[in-house]
Amino acid sequence: MTPLWPVAVITFKEGIRNRAVYGISLFALMMMAVNLLISDMIMQEVGKVSVDIALSSISFLGLLLVLFVGINLLAKDLDKRTIYMVLARPISRGEYIIGKFLGMVLLIVVTMSILCMFAVASIFLVKMRYSGYFPRFSWPMIFLSISFTTLSLILLSALSFLFASFASTSFISLILTIAAYIIGHSMTDVKALVEASQSVGIQVAPFTVKLVQIAYYIFPNLSIFDIKTQAAHDLAIPMSYIFWAVSYGLVYTCIVITIASLIFRKREFP
Amino acid sequence: MRRALPVVLLMLLLPFHILGLQAVTREWKSLPKGDDIAYVIPSPILKVTSLEFKGLTSDVMFLRALVFFGGLLERGNIQETKKWEWRWIHDTLNASTDLDPYFYDPYYFGEAQLTWGANMIKEANTLLDKGSKYRDWDWMLPFFIGFNHFYFLQENDKASEYLMTASKRPGGSSMFASLATRLAYKGQRTENAIVFVEEMLKEEKNESVREEFETRLEALKGILLLERAVIVYKDRFGIAPFSLKDLITAGIFAKLPEDPYGGEFYIALDGSIKTTSDLRLMK
Repeated sequence: MTPLWPVAVITFKEGIRNRAVYGISLFALMMMAVNLLISDMIMQEVGKVSVDIALSSISFLGLLLVLFVGINLLAKDLDKRTIYMVLARPISRGEYIIGKFLGMVLLIVVTMSILCMFAVASIFLVKMRYSGYFPRFSWPMIFLSISFTTLSLILLSALSFLFASFASTSFISLILTIAAYIIGHSMTDVKALVEASQSVGIQVAPFTVKLVQIAYYIFPNLSIFDIKTQAAHDLAIPMSYIFWAVSYGLVYTCIVITIASLIFRKREFP
Repeated sequence: MRRALPVVLLMLLLPFHILGLQAVTREWKSLPKGDDIAYVIPSPILKVTSLEFKGLTSDVMFLRALVFFGGLLERGNIQETKKWEWRWIHDTLNASTDLDPYFYDPYYFGEAQLTWGANMIKEANTLLDKGSKYRDWDWMLPFFIGFNHFYFLQENDKASEYLMTASKRPGGSSMFASLATRLAYKGQRTENAIVFVEEMLKEEKNESVREEFETRLEALKGILLLERAVIVYKDRFGIAPFSLKDLITAGIFAKLPEDPYGGEFYIALDGSIKTTSDLRLMK
């Protein structure tokens, strides 16, 4: 276990030094301004809209982090051949991948905490101004939603590691990760549409239904972690849902990272 | 000289850029084309394409409707708004609430503008029905629907149904309950009204409100009794009683029930039982 930690720390430092992180912080500041501006235009549920804006921009910024910082962390080692130096040390390839991933997880958690502070500040400012227009509002739900987003980003990052473990360039892993993200967020809707196709008046072959159902187990279901609507309206989320969602996220992440390290072990470097 | 050349070139190009953009914008406006805003992307498509940003997309759709309506106001007389423009506002609000059915503002805006402005009562009610279904803690939406049924559509039965729903929700005023029973009474739904008032009585802790409910309940029970007696009379004699006195002559009643509001029961022209107090305390 010992070689994991240094790799993780180096990865984290490398990530935090990336200029993209500054860009993300700048965007977060803009989000605060936009939040104040838009809330002026809302008649009744100012609270809902400001929570929407804050949580959505956090998700978006987290996505940018995974796509443009995360993928490069692994790909750069491969592209620039610095991986030879690492693998020459007494560390297995599997440990290398897991260490890198832990560093990325650390980076995601730290960045999301910073973004969370920005979000809280922006919601707080709007709430001070329109305190009477926050009929259904709860801070715990907002924090729960941000934690769920963090978990979904960790899952997506694990997938990007899986793609990077076999893709020849970082561009291919980028495209595959974006595809996984889109599939992950539309999977539930597509499955519901295919399974109840009669209600919207379309014909779907039974084979397609089976295919989608199988795909549902293979591809990640990221919409499980999207509880922004519930957070914005303070709708109840049962403890059992939280438990199963978190376990799904952790188990899926572990499976993906295990497969990634298996593939990476067999990979031949030029 | 060489170094100054790019600067001079920029200086020359800049006025041309501004001039050109202004001209082409002017020309673009007069290009023959359809109303580019006249359609709304169907919500199933919006749902899939907005990924995890459904709430935000819902907000944006609502703001679009609001800005569009602002444009109509600026144009002047709101009466001159075309049918497709109202329809567009309705479709946009509908899409916004498909993405986030818990969002209150589109319903609120729809109730204000689609009814009074556009006269699209049925559409407004369908929209509000969706909101009432999801926002089951909110008495405002069923109250709006009840009002629309009562005021615009003159459907008292429906109105009373929705007012009953509204009065049962947290924060709903007990005034709705009395309003609902009045409408129910006029809409010949006496039994429903009785059940409703009994239900409200169970929940109510305020003594003066309880008293009011009990009076209303007594009056409604009197009406129900008379309605049933009229049916018995019809069964026996094959014709409807001419007045309530006929019920006593026929031996169905020894004494007519009293209206606790101080009025007198009578048989209205349509055959239903009414009272001169109209279920309001007579002073």
